[in-house]
Amino acid sequence: MPPGLEQLQHIVVLMMENRSFDHMLGSLKAVNPQIDGVTPDLSNPDTNGNAVQAQPLAEFQAQLQPDPDHHFPAVDLQIFGGSTDPNRVANMQGFVKSYFNQQKDVAHSQKIMYYFAQNQLPVLTTLALQFAVFNRWFASIPGPTICNRAFAHYGTSFGRVDMNLIYLNEPFKSIYDRLIGATPKHTSKLYYYDTTSSTMEITNLLQNQPELFGTFPQFLDDCAKGNLTDYSFIEPNYNDHEGDSGEEVANDQHPDHNVQAGELFIAQVYNAIKSSPLWPNTALLIVYDEHGGIYDHVVPPACKPDQFTASANDTGTGMPFAFDRLGVRVPAILVSPWIPAGTVVNRVFDHASIPATITKFFLGDYSPRSPRETNADVFIEPNSGAVDPARNLLSLDVMRTDCPDFDV
Amino acid sequence: MLIQVPKPPKSAFDPNRPVSSLLVAQMEYLHEAEKRLPSRYHSQIYINAVKTEGEAAKYIRHVTEAIHEAHLEAAFARMRVVPKRKRAIELAAVADEQAEHKLATRTKKKSGGKKSASKHRRKE
Repeated sequence: MPPGLEQLQHIVVLMMENRSFDHMLGSLKAVNPQIDGVTPDLSNPDTNGNAVQAQPLAEFQAQLQPDPDHHFPAVDLQIFGGSTDPNRVANMQGFVKSYFNQQKDVAHSQKIMYYFAQNQLPVLTTLALQFAVFNRWFASIPGPTICNRAFAHYGTSFGRVDMNLIYLNEPFKSIYDRLIGATPKHTSKLYYYDTTSSTMEITNLLQNQPELFGTFPQFLDDCAKGNLTDYSFIEPNYNDHEGDSGEEVANDQHPDHNVQAGELFIAQVYNAIKSSPLWPNTALLIVYDEHGGIYDHVVPPACKPDQFTASANDTGTGMPFAFDRLGVRVPAILVSPWIPAGTVVNRVFDHASIPATITKFFLGDYSPRSPRETNADVFIEPNSGAVDPARNLLSLDVMRTDCPDFDV
Repeated sequence: MLIQVPKPPKSAFDPNRPVSSLLVAQMEYLHEAEKRLPSRYHSQIYINAVKTEGEAAKYIRHVTEAIHEAHLEAAFARMRVVPKRKRAIELAAVADEQAEHKLATRTKKKSGGKKSASKHRRKE
């Protein structure tokens, strides 16, 4: 058994909001050509027919107003360029058109193509270069936040492609229920930032199992004391508010929230784990729930359909959706001192990979799980049985001592 | 390798920012949850009138904390219903006493005196 897997006892997932891979990490193509980022030939047509290039002109705030549309019909336009032909081919040519629809302003619509320069995002780009960055991690659905986050908790959205999720008497348990109900019992916690930000998983989890939740200060304390649960899921601060210790700036990076605040938050999460006695035993996945309507150049692949189908009425496109295509690509980075610097992963993942990985790692075989989750790849190999070295990302024989530190 | 992380400017904080569709959805979920709470936990906030992040934040905090409190209250009430367990403990104590009595009776039969057994019990 590779020592990194043998030592691994805790997995932490931090899920940020609404930014595409190219927007956040596209600049890294120039640093490491293996990273599938932005090249000068990438463009989208605007509504005048002019090609708008992807450019490193993204700003931390006040640029993407109004919030780019990322509901199902808009994402369909972004991916297919506006074609509704039954034999249409995805081409990622509809982003500018989609953003134009919101304000009818050609110049403003071009901003959807902007991405951050490497030096603007010192935290995310450093982690991507120093640990494992995923070239093919996609949102689970070409749609908005809630249904995509559901895939991270349940491995499915139970047929929903929108913001309405009620899962009563559904067959698939949350990853948290699976862990705490297992024999031997495992531990799990969701950390929201504070009660004023709360969680996006209200309907089933907060409402019925509030004991599963903790706050971000509790996460910091749990790291410091070496008390992390086996699996932790962290949610950022979703709104600007007055907290107990003063102004709390939203750090989820959802447009139009400040991107630097999110950088600071990611650094705090990383620092807490790195300075914890559990650093050798912990892996941290940083991932974004969906692309937020912002440009990415990689065509989302087809996937095994889920057992649910969203009706034509529900999708708003006039076509049903069988959950047989992934959403737009998002940034995803796996951090562990057992991962070689400069690791680039080309296998395909989506948020169903999160419960798939956690389940396989801690529980082994488990059913029932959704068809989407059952077919999702795992980003950490199970620590039992033979391990394929080509798939194991925690591959070093000796733990690194050269991992970066962030001054926050 | 020590990386400096710039802080966002003061101007990044804007609780008067119009509420996003995500926060509206979050409030709607919380509103559904609020309806199931005992009425004493209700917020008296009309979410359709919430227009800014700051206003949304107040509602989100109220209902989130109410959910936690309502569950805690229920758990506390469950603990107070322990008489069944208390009764079980009492029954166990009675059973112990009976066993002790039997032992004492046996000892009495052997030694022929009640006094020694009761003395022994008092000492305990």
